[in-house]
Amino acid sequence: MERLQEICGPEHVTNVYADRICYRRDCGPTPGGIPDIVVRPQSTAEITQIFRLANEVRKPVFLWGRATTFVDHGVQEGCILLALDLMNRILKIDLENQVVTTEAGAIWHAVDSELNKLGWEIAVPGGGGMFSCTIGGTVAYNAVPHGITEYGVTGRHVVALEAVLPDGTVVRTGSAANRDAPLPIERGANGPDLAGLFIGACGTLGAITEVTLRINRIPETERFLFYAFDTVDQCVDAAAAVQRQNGATFLIGLFGGPPPANVSGKAFLHMIIRDGQTRAAERVRTCQSVCESYFGRPQDPEGTKRYWLGHMYSWLRNTPPNAYYGSRPYYCPEVAGFLPTLALKQAIPALHEYVRTNAEFARAGMRVKGMDVYFSPNAAFLWVDTLYPEMSPEAKQVGLRVRAEIAELLFGRWMSPGGIVSGIAPYIMPRLGSAYDLMKTLKRALDPNNILNPGVLLLGKDQE
Amino acid sequence: MTDTKAPELQLQAVAQSTYECLRCAFCYDLSWLGSTNLCPSYTWGSFESYGGRGRVALARALLEGELEYDESLIPRIFACTECRACAEHCFKYIDTVKVYDRMRQDMAVRGLIPPELKIAVDQLVASHNLYGKPHEKRLSWLKDRSRVDQPAPVAFFVGCTPSYVRRSLAEDFYSVLDSSDLDFTVLSDEWCCGHPFLAAGQTERAAEVMSHNVEALQDLGVEQLIFECPGCMRTFREDIPAVLGEPLPFEVLHITEAIAEFVEEGRLQFSIYQPGTVVTYHDPCTLGRGLGIYDAPRAIIAAMPGMRLQEMPRHGRDAYCCGAGSFVRYDYASLTDQTGVERFWEAAATGAQLLLTSCPACVTQFQNVRAALDSPLQVMDLISLVKQVARWK
Repeated sequence: MERLQEICGPEHVTNVYADRICYRRDCGPTPGGIPDIVVRPQSTAEITQIFRLANEVRKPVFLWGRATTFVDHGVQEGCILLALDLMNRILKIDLENQVVTTEAGAIWHAVDSELNKLGWEIAVPGGGGMFSCTIGGTVAYNAVPHGITEYGVTGRHVVALEAVLPDGTVVRTGSAANRDAPLPIERGANGPDLAGLFIGACGTLGAITEVTLRINRIPETERFLFYAFDTVDQCVDAAAAVQRQNGATFLIGLFGGPPPANVSGKAFLHMIIRDGQTRAAERVRTCQSVCESYFGRPQDPEGTKRYWLGHMYSWLRNTPPNAYYGSRPYYCPEVAGFLPTLALKQAIPALHEYVRTNAEFARAGMRVKGMDVYFSPNAAFLWVDTLYPEMSPEAKQVGLRVRAEIAELLFGRWMSPGGIVSGIAPYIMPRLGSAYDLMKTLKRALDPNNILNPGVLLLGKDQE
Repeated sequence: MTDTKAPELQLQAVAQSTYECLRCAFCYDLSWLGSTNLCPSYTWGSFESYGGRGRVALARALLEGELEYDESLIPRIFACTECRACAEHCFKYIDTVKVYDRMRQDMAVRGLIPPELKIAVDQLVASHNLYGKPHEKRLSWLKDRSRVDQPAPVAFFVGCTPSYVRRSLAEDFYSVLDSSDLDFTVLSDEWCCGHPFLAAGQTERAAEVMSHNVEALQDLGVEQLIFECPGCMRTFREDIPAVLGEPLPFEVLHITEAIAEFVEEGRLQFSIYQPGTVVTYHDPCTLGRGLGIYDAPRAIIAAMPGMRLQEMPRHGRDAYCCGAGSFVRYDYASLTDQTGVERFWEAAATGAQLLLTSCPACVTQFQNVRAALDSPLQVMDLISLVKQVARWK
């Protein structure tokens, strides 16, 4: 405690129980352990010193960005909790080189808002969706962003990183690694893609402290479409065709949960198109033709627009946020991942059948919030969001079993998850064979004392 | 060590709310507007236990027996201006302030109240005002006593701050009402509205003063009560029915709503204050988020010729607190000061010459900050400006 206070200043370190108890849970169902100490560093140099101290005393360190993932980060009892919220500066908006560099704790939307004032935006909008995620956390998790259909996953837009390795070494990646010309302009420069080592690793291999992301001019126009389909197959076929023709910037499918208000159908597609006026008009016509050729029925896209502008998911179901989110003491044991678009034709009916035949599901008061798909350029990112009543410990256990069973059902046939932390890792990492072995080898090499986010992604678990 | 076993948890009444929290962190900042703070308490206290999501986690830990009330919770629960920004932006529409209030009640019965706030509310019992001044001096600002205690359909509820420390504001308010031809009265035996007792978690004491005021006003046949202080008004509109268990027997109205109505009806016009004046308007938390009154003050400003309103980045439901709410200055002066300075600089950055607001506590706070910063930005309550430029028909 004293040494951490010396490093970060006494006002940025606490061991008060009432403080510590607030740093153990993300938006997922399972509270983690309570840290022994919470510390809020203000610089990379402080993090370096903290890691060296942690190695010396063999104390695990867990990174805390905004804690808004839905799948149980897995903070361990008795750790040092490193909250990065004070490292929230925008270091440079570089319009000339079309990049922005921020500290890891900067809030995604805050950075984007500053760029918006200049007519620019981060190259991938809303890495954390509507939530106020940090830049560092979003990259470490390689979050599936809004606009994934055209822009791809968050990590694709990372140009350079600064990270502190578990032994305290500071590394810079890509073109920023050149000490004599540390310019963050190209990720592919200077050898292997070291940035890729940290993207999606959820802080197990190093703490991301600075991020440089590509930025773009805000497109000239945004157009919105919403279609209803009478069968899942028609909707999936339409989605695949829209993907093939680069029709939409963001294509979202609804295949389960409450249907949009005042719209009939079995499956639904929302489309957001961002482009120059002429090209946007062409893409709108493409999407319309495709949807109508698969018997889609056009609907009022006001909900699509509201969703996009306010990032409130409820609008995808034509429902105002207060009616959708208010007075609902439920938590979501989410399972999500990528699968081939056309595999949705098997996966969606299988999921509905699972829910229909699972007696525990209804008995525990569980519901399906959504089986929603963010379509990537060539695949489908399916979120299976069930809900259990948080006030019932028994229902929570059912919810966790449902998560395990849905993960088993999907990962065993079609799906590979995107962002993974402790809640999902047990269901996927053992399936990865030599890829998982390589990750463990890297973890041991970089973190021999297993101090950094041990157990997250299951990495380091063997060392415990 | 305080006995933490005894009374039943008031928190149980809002247990469901604590389970609704999704932990999305919308309660911490306004990232949609850039790198801007939303919660003064979190900004000041630094750790999550000082912000909405953290406090709700504490509440849940208390309910589940993982945590007990003790001294460590005093600043984490009471160093909060109750500005309602967290509730206003809650993704799950949780009335977080209700959760905090229940925690304050639980802490009050366990003797866990910040020391200076305790002294203030203890002396309030005898003096009926928060400043410990003689009750008989409450109307010393008023020269013409002809309306005092006279039966009338409308009453002016003055409040403690205008009565004792911002007397010019009370005079301005009275003067505007007097010019409007309203048939109104003022109570000589007005007591504090009870808000400080609620802030200290002392519901029974609050009930006593509430009953006194309601009965006194009923005795004069009051049908409508007009306020300058949004805190007093919210106490009447929201808290009195909840605490006393019965509906309020008269309507309540903020003075800005009354003036906006006079303007709308064409009964009130304004002369030019100073040609080309740029003003900015600070939404008092309780008037805005607490009572939903955002438009009336702006309608009044818009009706003033030669005046241009330049909004601060955080305005309306996004407005940042001035730092004076919920009596935090008594025990956490640095929270009040830090918040007030941040908000004042935001106002100054608009380029305005005049910072307007509609709350005696906010005006007092900003005038203190202005004096400390030696800033040229003038601070004025909207009612005082109205008094200066009003042209009644």
